Parts: sequence; C-alpha cells; structure tokens
Amino acid sequence: MTTTLAPTAGRAGSPAAPGPRRRRPRQTRLLFMLPAAVFLGVLSVYPLVTLVRMAFSKVTAATLNADWAFSGLDNFTAGLESGDTGAAVSRTLVFVVVVTVLGMGLGLGGAIALRTRGWWSGALLALMVFVWALPPVVNGSVWKFLLADTGLLNTVLLGTGLRDTPVPFLYDQHWALASVAFVNAFAVIPFNALVYRAALLTIEPEVFEAAQLDGASKAQQVRHIMVPSVRGTTLVLLILTLVYGFRSFDFIYVMTYGGPGTATNTLPFLGYLQAFVRYDYGLGAATSVIAVAGVLVLAALYARSIRNEEKHG
Amino acid sequence: MDINGNDARPTPRRRTRLALTSLAAASGLLLAACSGGTSAGGDADGSSGGGDTLTVWHYFSDDNQVKLMDDFAAKFEAEHDGATVENVFVPYDQLNSKLVSAAGAQTGPDVVVFNGAEAATLALGGALAPLDDYWADFADAGEVSESVVHTIDGTTYAVQGYVNLLGLWYNADILAEIGVEPPTTMTELEDAMGKAKDAGYAGITLSGLPQSQGEWQAYPWISSEGFTYDDPQADALAAGLGRVRGWVDNGWLSQEAVTWDQTVPFQQFAAGRTAFAANGNWQMGTAASDADFEYGVVPLPLSDTGGVYLGGEGQGIGAFSENPDLAWEYLTATYLDAEGQLLPPEIVGSLPSRADAAADELVTGNVLLEPFAQTITQFGANYPSPAVPAASVADVQLTVGQAWSAAIGGQKSPQQAADDAIAALGPLLD
Repeated sequence: MTTTLAPTAGRAGSPAAPGPRRRRPRQTRLLFMLPAAVFLGVLSVYPLVTLVRMAFSKVTAATLNADWAFSGLDNFTAGLESGDTGAAVSRTLVFVVVVTVLGMGLGLGGAIALRTRGWWSGALLALMVFVWALPPVVNGSVWKFLLADTGLLNTVLLGTGLRDTPVPFLYDQHWALASVAFVNAFAVIPFNALVYRAALLTIEPEVFEAAQLDGASKAQQVRHIMVPSVRGTTLVLLILTLVYGFRSFDFIYVMTYGGPGTATNTLPFLGYLQAFVRYDYGLGAATSVIAVAGVLVLAALYARSIRNEEKHG
Repeated sequence: MDINGNDARPTPRRRTRLALTSLAAASGLLLAACSGGTSAGGDADGSSGGGDTLTVWHYFSDDNQVKLMDDFAAKFEAEHDGATVENVFVPYDQLNSKLVSAAGAQTGPDVVVFNGAEAATLALGGALAPLDDYWADFADAGEVSESVVHTIDGTTYAVQGYVNLLGLWYNADILAEIGVEPPTTMTELEDAMGKAKDAGYAGITLSGLPQSQGEWQAYPWISSEGFTYDDPQADALAAGLGRVRGWVDNGWLSQEAVTWDQTVPFQQFAAGRTAFAANGNWQMGTAASDADFEYGVVPLPLSDTGGVYLGGEGQGIGAFSENPDLAWEYLTATYLDAEGQLLPPEIVGSLPSRADAAADELVTGNVLLEPFAQTITQFGANYPSPAVPAASVADVQLTVGQAWSAAIGGQKSPQQAADDAIAALGPLLD
C-alpha cells in the first residue's frame, strides 16, 4: 500500500533525488514483505483453512489422523439443535459487550489520566504493562483467589459490614459470567491505555493552550480535543478488543471451567470442550468458525459505519 | 504501509486500511488460537528418544504422587544398568489431546500414565500400543484383578498398578465435639452435618466441577438413589442431584464447590473447619502432612444400589515408542511388580491391584486403607461403566459432570439438570 507523496522538486523525468523519500523498487519491497507473508501463511492461513475444512467434516479422536469424511453442515446443525451453540452465542455477546465497554472506556480514561510525562505516570504505566504481560493462567489464578469466599474482596465486604454473606463471584451463574468478563477486561485495559496514551501524546501542546485561553474546561478538552484525536486509534483498538473478547478462553478455563454447569460456556470455551474434552473435533471447529464469523461481521459493520460517518461529516 | 510521518492522524481511507490490516492480523491470531493450540510435544522435551532412555508422560503435580513417579524411576534404573527414566509432566486437561496429536505426528512418549477411564479415548485416538502379546507372556497376569485391565474391542491397551476410590473422611475432633459417631447411613450423615453447622463448622466438602472429576464425584450419590447407565432414569438422577443441592440449601456444603477440583476441597477439610470430605484414598499423604486433628475414614454411606468407581491411573505403552520392550520392562518392574505395588499404598495411599500385594501387611494393617478395601467389596463399580460405549465415555462424563455442577451451583433445578442430562445421554448410550 502506498500513498501519494508530494512531487519532488526538479525537472520532470529527472532521476529521483537521493534521500529518505526515494521509492524502493517494487520487487525490493515485495522481498521485504516475504518473511511476514510466509509467517502469516504458515501460522494463520493454513490453520484457518484446516479449521474450516474440519468444521465441514466428521472428525473424532479415532479419525483425526486419518481421512476426514465430508459432512456438510452437520456439525453446525448439531450444535444449534443441542442448544449449546445458541446459548454460548448469547453468553459470548454479553461477555464481549462487558469486555469492550470496560476495556475501551477504562483504557481511554487511564490514558487521559496518564497523559502527563511525569515519573509517576511512567511508573504506573510500567505496573500496568506488567499486569497486561502476566500469563492469563497466573492472572486468572490470582483473581480466583481474590474472588473466593475467603478472598480479599469478600473479606473486605464482610469485614466492613457491607454484606452479611459472601458475594458468589464465581459460583452463581450471573455473577460468574460478569466476573470472568470483568477479569478479561481488567487484563486488556493496560494495553488499551498504552495505545491511547501514545495517540494522545501526538496532540500538540499548543492546542490545549489555545483551548485553555478560550476557557475550555478539562471535560471540554477531553470531549472536543482528545476523543476526536484518537478516533483512528479507537477503530483499531475496538476491533482488537472485540477479537480479544471473542477469544475468551483462558480466564474461563482457569476460573470457572465453564461453570457453574454451563453458565460461562462462551463460544471459544464451548469449542474447547467439544474438541478437546468430548473429542468431537468437527463440532468444536464449527463452533470456532461461528466465533470467527462473529468477529468479522462486527468489525465490518463498525468499519463501514466509521467510513459513512467520515463521508457525511 | 507508507504513512506520512508528519501526520499523526490517519486519513479516513488509511484508517480503514489500517483497521482492515489489523483485523486480518488479529483474526489470524484468533484463528490460530481457535484451531486448538496443542502441540505434539514430541521432541527433545518429552517424546520417545530411543537408546536406553524412557520418557513417561503423567499429569501429577501433588508432591506425594510426584515422589511415587520418582521412586518408580529410581527402582527401574537401579535394576536396569544404563537405563534412564524421564518423567514428563503434562497438565491433566492437556494430556489426552497432546497424546492424540503426537500420535498424528507419529511420535509420543514410551510410557503413558493416564486417567484409566480414558483408555478408550486414547486407544481410539491411536495413542496407545496394544499390549496383548506382552500381557499373554506376563507370568503374573493371574495376580492382577481383571477389573483393572483395559481392553477395548478385544485388544488390551493398559493395565492399572493400583486402584483409587472415594471414601468419607471425617474430622474425629469435630464429631466428638458434636457427639456423633462416624456415619453408616445417609440419615446419620445428614444429621451429623446439621449438628456440625449448628456448632459453627462446615458440613462436607466435595468437587462440583463441570467435567469428568464432577461425574466421578457425583456417581456414588446418584447411584445411591438408583441411577444407572444401563437404564438411565431422570427421576433417579434428579433425586441424587436434589439431595446434594439440599446440602447447599441447608448450608452444609458450600456452593463454591463448583469451582473446586478434588484437591481444593481436601485442603479445606485439612484446615480443620469441616466435618466431612468425600474424597479419595490418594489424599492420605496430604492428611498426614496438613491435618493437625484426629481424622478417620468410613465407606460412603450409600444405599444398596450405590456404587463407588474403582479408578486410578492406567499405564500403557505409547503407540510410537521407540523402546516398547524396555517400556514393558519398566511397567513389569514398577507398576505391575509385587514389590513395586507396595510403593503406591505407602507413598500415596492407593490400593494394589495384585492379589498378593493387596494381602501384604502394609495394606491390611493400615487402618485408613481398610475402609477403602471394604468399599471395593461393598460398592466397587467399574470405571467407566461398561454400559457406556467406548467412543462416548468422554461425552457422558462431561454431560453428567455439567449436570452435577448446574444443580450444585443453582444454574438449573435438580429436575431440570437431570432432564437435560438424560436427553443428552440418550444418543450417547445407544
């Protein structure tokens, strides 16, 4: 992908002036793209093709290493007829909404709070990045302790007299879904804050000075300067956060294993259960394909709405 | 992408392109994640390496169980000059997938120590080597109980060196305080739990996890109400689920049990604030090291229809072992050896599967093992039930485990959980 560059000074037809703005020959640029293309092909495109092929085949532990028999839409209809897929779609949507709203909102809030270049904001950011970089198994296990009946949160709630009984964070069907969604959001906030902060730091300080001279309050500066400035970042982050929400597996695996009962079975976890617990790989692949399709549809809708908004002002 | 560095904010078209590029990359990552991130694990870090080195895959993280693996390795190495045993830990939930994936890549370990109930899954997945020839030539085969020999479609794939099962652990100090004897009937158990709660203690701990561990824990209670896999009836299942859900409603059992595997509830019991624990003989080491109170074990107080699974780990040879003969020598020198079979009861508290080892003073003189031995006689049930087709074992365990968890956790009423489970079990048991 290229963009039109300003014409260089000089006579038409003269050789391009040496310097950083000189175009590389097309073949050279393609050569540089080759490693990434191969990497993406092997690690993304091939698994994707295999996944789709598996979704339309009857694949079990007995046939995984043999030829896969084509089964059409059987896996999809079996999942829908059992009711598992429909219920998991609903839970996944709730999960994604919670993760996206909290992840985006608190990410932007954190970025605005940490917009200064002081040492304390750097230290806080470093701590947030540490939290973000923690393996989900560690992060999830710590949260499981924190949210237990004898964990920190319930101890504080009971100790302060705010509640008589522990909050059933992980063992009531509604609380459990909300809790794992919150922990998922918690884990993505640092990344979103970091990216938002980078975008906010590109705004010229003079813009804020001018706004202050015009009498703009802090809230008005956020609303009229910061939020419009990070729109492009928001688009990318939103898609990444949506994808992250749809990938909701690891925290559920560690914290609830889909329980109580099936209350936290989102699409990715349901796919895991089908493929790696029940050994019906075809059924699990079909569930995963539905999850991916959901991400693509949401992302396409959002990208189109942003385009339309920009077209019509 | 060539973006003018002076412009921090992308134009609309660039923004869309940027978004789509990010989306493509992110979707790729998502799909890679969704396509089941199991690696074969078959290389320097754990597959059969030939020579005199044996790799043994297992899922033990408990100190005593790890010690048993180490002691078996030491025993074999001491008896076989030049042989080296490498015990490789694989998390429980990943072991089967890794074994099947490894088999697809024609690699894998020499020896597999796995949940015996999943022998059919691994055999059908091509991860285990047939043992028929070895077993036919094994002079001591007659000493081993037939119930621990795993034969699928006429072929033997694994044997268990020991048996594990559930019993009712009790805190003798609490029972003395509330003035009750260790229970022998369901009524006595529930009466004792009620008194324990009134005295400020928890009644019982168990695992309500929505997977195979949950099904393993559920089976005694649901079978006690008349549930069987031969003729699965919703009312019997609902009665079993309803009884245990009643314990939650009465405050005798914490609803939090739905998040506990079998290790956590025993740690809760060992902390000394709970009267009973439905847990296994393999917890003896933990009880000895963690419990600073008097404790004992009695058989679970079940009805005549009640059954307690005879579980434990199966031992087999990897389908692509480069040392199958040496692997069999390892098994016959450790898990299937009369002397070797005395290590599990001593270190972990498991019961030997050989008749001669089971008659040893080490076993018969152990007051904690005796109730488990009594349970085998009184309630012992094959694990998995012979009524469950080999290809459906994992499915059935997950279905009943989820019903158990849904009832304990209040996601569904016991009747609803039972009805849903029976509907799902129908095609699986045909």
